[in-house]
Amino acid sequence: MTQELAIDAKGITKSYKIGKTRQDVLKDVDFNAYHGQVTMVMGPSGSGKSTLVATLSGLLKPDAGEVIALGENLWTKKKARIDRFRLDHCGFIFQGFNLFPALNATQQVEQVLKYCRVPKSEARKRAKAALTEVGLEKRLNQMPSALSGGEKQRVAIARALSKNPQLLFADEPTSALDSVSGQVVIKLLHRAAHEHGAAVICVTHDPRLEAYADRIIHMEDGKILSDHFVNKP
Amino acid sequence: MSLALSTLLYEWRRYMAAVIALAVAGLLVLALVGMFMGIGKSFTATIDRSPADLMVLPPDSDGFGSTQPRRNIPTLFQHPEVVEVMPYTLSWAFWQNFPTPEQPMRREGVQVIVVDPMEGAVTLPNDFPEHIIVALQEPYSVILDATSLNKLGVKVGDKANLNGRTVNVRGTVDNYPSLFQSMIFTSRQTAKLLGIYSEGPRVGSLLVKLRDPARAATVAEELNAIGKGQYKAWTRDQLSQQNQAEMFKNSFISIMLGFMLLVGVFIGVVITWQTLQGAILANIKEFASLRALGVSMGSLRLIIMELSFWVGVAGLGLTAVLVIGVTALARLFNLSMYYPMWAIITIAIMLLVISVVSGLLSLGVLKKSQPADLLR
Repeated sequence: MTQELAIDAKGITKSYKIGKTRQDVLKDVDFNAYHGQVTMVMGPSGSGKSTLVATLSGLLKPDAGEVIALGENLWTKKKARIDRFRLDHCGFIFQGFNLFPALNATQQVEQVLKYCRVPKSEARKRAKAALTEVGLEKRLNQMPSALSGGEKQRVAIARALSKNPQLLFADEPTSALDSVSGQVVIKLLHRAAHEHGAAVICVTHDPRLEAYADRIIHMEDGKILSDHFVNKP
Repeated sequence: MSLALSTLLYEWRRYMAAVIALAVAGLLVLALVGMFMGIGKSFTATIDRSPADLMVLPPDSDGFGSTQPRRNIPTLFQHPEVVEVMPYTLSWAFWQNFPTPEQPMRREGVQVIVVDPMEGAVTLPNDFPEHIIVALQEPYSVILDATSLNKLGVKVGDKANLNGRTVNVRGTVDNYPSLFQSMIFTSRQTAKLLGIYSEGPRVGSLLVKLRDPARAATVAEELNAIGKGQYKAWTRDQLSQQNQAEMFKNSFISIMLGFMLLVGVFIGVVITWQTLQGAILANIKEFASLRALGVSMGSLRLIIMELSFWVGVAGLGLTAVLVIGVTALARLFNLSMYYPMWAIITIAIMLLVISVVSGLLSLGVLKKSQPADLLR
């Protein structure tokens, strides 16, 4: 298991303009995350945790600060390069599962691999392997409409994992799920970190997930309140 | 199967409005062309089904109406490959039926076309069956297009009055419908008996039979060289195409077609564009998740363009079904429709252009696929 620094962000500041007022969402935040660890970012709504993840993953440019991800200074890159960085290294899991209604489970995964320029037969193999890993080996050809919420989220995880990402971002991945499905999902994230060595950064306000975290960061009002390692990197 | 095609097939209801709009736009234009061409074809039916290899017309004419000096006939025979030359004779006559007590009286102007009822004659249309040829050999017998029977108030076996003489309706042929004056076929002998056959110094178009029909185009050029501008020889295809082209030079038809084309394109673009936009918006989160995973905006645009292309293809398919339906319906009313290949290709391109333009217009919606919005 690698225990290197995957993300190192310093001085991240972000504010939004709402009407005529300017609201600071992130106030000079320093953040880092290690490979092979599940880093849980917790906090009430509006604390800035999702915005933090967006700036760390190259989705939202911060007003100030720098993000070093896998040794590369993310926000000095051009847009297309950031896209490419995400394609090569990042996986995402969202609260909504965001699966194309017209594609079955295998096709959902293959679709992403196609853009990673994985050859067709290899993509099929990897899609099946990823779906098997999340326990959907018997649902390979099901459409999203025939899958339960938990199964949809597992397809989304398989889609993210099939790229073998070094960075895996999850935003409230269990909040639309019942407790059993939620546990399956967090175990999968845990496995992605511990078996595949990915740096998993999971935003949640579900306290049940704390049990699976290697590190817990609490945020409030755009600042990190506490940073606690359950397992040392 | 690609994402675009799978989406179109799976969510076909969502795209139906666009497909129908395209099909209606296609149908609107194609049916109009088909109708005009069908009418045109009925005017040129006697050219298209003539066994003549060449038609010789006055130099400045491309229709069958105008006349030329009879002396052109011996000039044509100067060419060694010409085996038969006969004038195409078309006269106007006045028709009246002999109504039964429950039948209305019909008085109509008709076009009388003179044929020679002999197998292989250059004036005899090549789809006249044997019994019709035999019937035409009788004096005072006439043949009608089946669709004219009702209009002229007769049935097969009836007598009628043509330019004051009694004629016998001896049979009917198909595929010679006419929107205006009905077409009536008689033999040259009957035409003479009716006093509508002129043997004066001027004749109409000349129908020419050649020894080798395959050489028609070459012989036409050679005949034109011999004639030194006194006439112009056309092959059947040339004349038919010329007549079709001539029809679209008619300003009324062009304006009407142009207008329909504009309306069709406008309706097609607006509805297809809006439908595509709505459909993309419905899947915007899925597109955003692809963006998050690093799929470039260019790749997403390609998906939309492919989707709009397939919508165009589906619209084309539905156009074909609708056109077949409309044509069948028109046939029920004895209106023949004809779709030349150029019109079909033009419409196919038009529909694909509409769908691709709509796709281009819809690309703006993709800007809403901000993956950061998926994080909340």
